[in-house]
Amino acid sequence: MIGVVVALVIAASWHIEASPVEFAEGLPRLWQLVEEVMVELTTVTDSMAYNAMWAMLETIQMAFIGTMVGYALALPMSLLASRNLASRWVYVPMRGLLAMARTLPSIMWALLFIIMVGPGPFAGILAITMYTLGFVAKLQYESVEAVDADPMDSASSIGLSRLQMIRFVVIPESASHLLGHLLYMFDYNVRQTSILGLVGAGGIGFYIITYTKYLQYGKAVFFMLVVLATVLVIDWISVKLRDRYVVKSQRGVAADMP
Amino acid sequence: MSYHASIQSETHDIGKAEPDNCIICMEDVWASYDARSTTIREINMKVSAGSNYAIVGKSGSGKSTLLKIMNGLMMPNRGTITVDSHRPDQHNRKFQSAMARIGYIPQSLGLVRNSSVLDNVMIGALPRMGTLQSLLKRYSEADMAEARRILEMVGLSGKESRKAYMLSGGEKRRVAIARAFMQNPRILLADEIVSELDSVTSRDIMDLVAAMQRDTGLTAIMIHHDMSLALEYADRVAVMQEGRKIMEMGIDHDHVHILDFQSGNLTTQEILEMYDDSQK
Repeated sequence: MIGVVVALVIAASWHIEASPVEFAEGLPRLWQLVEEVMVELTTVTDSMAYNAMWAMLETIQMAFIGTMVGYALALPMSLLASRNLASRWVYVPMRGLLAMARTLPSIMWALLFIIMVGPGPFAGILAITMYTLGFVAKLQYESVEAVDADPMDSASSIGLSRLQMIRFVVIPESASHLLGHLLYMFDYNVRQTSILGLVGAGGIGFYIITYTKYLQYGKAVFFMLVVLATVLVIDWISVKLRDRYVVKSQRGVAADMP
Repeated sequence: MSYHASIQSETHDIGKAEPDNCIICMEDVWASYDARSTTIREINMKVSAGSNYAIVGKSGSGKSTLLKIMNGLMMPNRGTITVDSHRPDQHNRKFQSAMARIGYIPQSLGLVRNSSVLDNVMIGALPRMGTLQSLLKRYSEADMAEARRILEMVGLSGKESRKAYMLSGGEKRRVAIARAFMQNPRILLADEIVSELDSVTSRDIMDLVAAMQRDTGLTAIMIHHDMSLALEYADRVAVMQEGRKIMEMGIDHDHVHILDFQSGNLTTQEILEMYDDSQK
């Protein structure tokens, strides 16, 4: 089996002319680039650092708005896409709709929205919203479908309406997962938003692509390092929030106890 | 064992007898989860209003399926059943109005583990509230007072804001009972609510149900794993085996009357020993 996989990898590499030899030949050029970048990094000015911070803040704001709006739109749609809450006539078309939103990567949505509303952060926000909607709704309806049937049976056997069932059983039972999805999506979207500037949809990616175009790799790398540092900080906060509100709750430990 | 012996000494077969005011009536009921096997078969059962009806039998004998049929969570393949004069079907509008007053406690209790004790208990009041009021959690003063009274009765006063997952096994059972009591139920369907509890806690919980029956005329249909508990608290006991009701006993203080027995002429002691053997 492993032999077949290796053979397929080699055949596919040959077909698309991916040569390890070319990679080995290119390594010295990479080292030369690193040396140039290191020299250029020493030329970073205060105003450039200031621009990088503002661009990063804009990126975080775009990711935040896109995540929140996409998540809020996804929640009711995911309830309609859940097999344990909706009839087949509702959940099948709803899942199709969400799959369509998920099919396009955020960068493709950005291109589409640039055509609609012009280049800039708003197109980026719309792109992130659409991608979040398709992606997070799938996670949400899978969590809703995983809700234990017994509390739902108990509630339905005493005559709770569908809305009451969602409000008092489904949402509380899947709350820790739903919060986990929100944190994950925001974390993911900050990274996604950072590259949307490559197609003109605002954020820090705009600076990265501009400096790269003008062969100012040092400055481009500086902006990339700002993205990296921000992502690490958000990741750390996300882990702390997850530990406090998600992991302990899922294990049945009192998350809000000192 | 001494309890069984005393039963044997005072047991006599009085033949078949039927209760008069039947609140749950089943006639030749068959049901299955799939087409290949039958989970319960030929069930005839009449539960009189205000009685405590126990169902015992080993795992897989069809006890829980019986409760699911009684509250409309499952439809029988054959036979007729009426609960509080309605056919139990969650899509039957007439039964839907009766559902609000049928308490159901599944074996796993069916609590919302991330919700507080109070929120779990108030679920019992939701069917009688308006949708918008309930979604906004605008409970009436009367419902709040009733919830506090019930929580005090089940010994959970002061724990209203605790999440369900933080409670002990006995406390969780008390919450499930409080939720059912909050419905002001006419019928309580309870599936092994005292299993895995120590005998003191088990009796405390059974006493709560008995007190509610005395106060409100509640009809309780309770599945038990422990025959002695069933004999102590129930008016009638049905023994299930492999999807059939193999025996029904009427209990009057320390007397056990065999009312319906489908497996030949055995003495009560022989049946109880057979039951004990089937649990090993």
